[in-house]
Amino acid sequence: MNLAFLRAHAAERVVSLNLCTDQMLVLLAPEKIAALSPLARDPALSFVAPQAEHLPVVRASAEAVLRLHPDLILAAPYGAQTTLALLQQERVPLLRIALPQDFAGIRQMTRLLASALDVPQRGEALLAAMDAELAALPRPDHALHALVWEPRGLTAGPGTLMDAVLDAAGMSNASDGRNMSLEALLRHPPDLLVVPATPAYPSLATTLLDHPALAALRRLTIPPALTICAGPFSAQAAALLAR
Amino acid sequence: MIRWLALLLAVLAAVSLFIGDATLALPDRLILWQLRLPRTLLGLLVGSGLGLSGAVLQGALRNPLADPGLLGITGTAGLGAVIAFYWGLAAAFPPALAAGGLLGAGVGAAFLLSFAGGAPSGPSLILAGVAVSAIAAALLALALTLAPNPFALAEITFWLMGGLADRPLWQVVLAAPTILLGVAILLSLGRGLDALSLGEDTARSLGVPVTRTLRLAAVGTAFAVGTGAAVAGSIGFIGLVVPHLLRPWFGERPGALLPAAPLAGAALLLAADMLVRLAPLVLPLSAAPPVGVLTALLGAPFLVAIARRGEP
Repeated sequence: MNLAFLRAHAAERVVSLNLCTDQMLVLLAPEKIAALSPLARDPALSFVAPQAEHLPVVRASAEAVLRLHPDLILAAPYGAQTTLALLQQERVPLLRIALPQDFAGIRQMTRLLASALDVPQRGEALLAAMDAELAALPRPDHALHALVWEPRGLTAGPGTLMDAVLDAAGMSNASDGRNMSLEALLRHPPDLLVVPATPAYPSLATTLLDHPALAALRRLTIPPALTICAGPFSAQAAALLAR
Repeated sequence: MIRWLALLLAVLAAVSLFIGDATLALPDRLILWQLRLPRTLLGLLVGSGLGLSGAVLQGALRNPLADPGLLGITGTAGLGAVIAFYWGLAAAFPPALAAGGLLGAGVGAAFLLSFAGGAPSGPSLILAGVAVSAIAAALLALALTLAPNPFALAEITFWLMGGLADRPLWQVVLAAPTILLGVAILLSLGRGLDALSLGEDTARSLGVPVTRTLRLAAVGTAFAVGTGAAVAGSIGFIGLVVPHLLRPWFGERPGALLPAAPLAGAALLLAADMLVRLAPLVLPLSAAPPVGVLTALLGAPFLVAIARRGEP
């Protein structure tokens, strides 16, 4: 969708169908929200859960979305493909946002969305706060070797958002992007283990993160709400690590 | 003979401590005590429970195809454990995991024994076992679909195929007493099973309490495999294969197999688990497959061979 067209078009009823665009929409233009995705209300996943509690949500079904008469739909590259195709047939303007994997990408995405929503000054304010938070982070002399270890032994390798967050926090990333088994992890233990906060109900994948053999490792639990999506709040994830 | 089996098992257990997850590197203290020791102990416990219950079930039901996995008992045990685990019962009260497995195995064993009591013919029992297994697998998938944790459904392979990897020591300690109790109960049934092999009426005339023996076999099997399945999932075919491997050496008498069966079951499961751990070194695998994959791949052709041999 053409950005100049979007700006002239001045959307007033915006529907977001993805958790990541939900958060940006709440931060940039809460008064223009026609609906968010239901995940926006989940405090375990969403940075804006408290605000979203009082905002309307909609499931990604074409019928439910069309009933809201949106004049702009925000979506991510993945998910709800058939619904989005149908909505495009109905000639509802659709803006697909690529999910950024570093802070330069976050700046670009924030400016793009702020411009499309016709609130450029709010975008700049969010970015200024983000840059101030990043600039205030201490730069340690000795970079800690940190590993982001997720359920099922997944790690955050080079080129991921968490890699950029570790770098901003003055740490080096111990992952090469491949899965790491518990034994491989213990053979080469990192200085710091970064794990997501475990959900309320257990699974084998999440209880593995609490295996007693990991007790001796220094660990930091990070709320997934800060790390699932990239946004100006990603600086808070770096601040949490740097502390 | 049984001494050689015990020696083999001791060697396998020792070697198991020095075979890592896709590596032959020597373990440091932490890896040895927190990863490889629990894994080895769990293999010993689960394998002995499966091997012995297979020998007892084949004797008690006079059916060479009886096996706790094939008859659905490990399946219902896994179902009980899944319900206790994914809804947070086990997190709030750890013994709930073992209790769930035990309860599930008890229900499965009670159903099969009551079924076998009415019509103890071989094929009908196996058919009942197929039905119980299918229901247990379906309910397990349903339970995982409904589980509140988003990772749950992806873990269905663990519960259906079983695995010994990365179980913490406390879970092994939790499962151990009931498995050992089950093994003790089953080991005491030798004389009754020998008499039963002559038919129920003959056994009764020899003064063997048939109903009591069958009930104890069910209870013992539930204890021997229930908590094991709660911690390690449903590992199949160990119970089926072990008695057949032992008969050439120990004879056809069910009672003679009993002392050897737990040793052979443990040895077989440990050996399979070591092969699985080393598999990523020789095959293009990103991670070691669950051990139940290997026991099923090796055990299923064995089942076919037994079924063929039984043909007139």
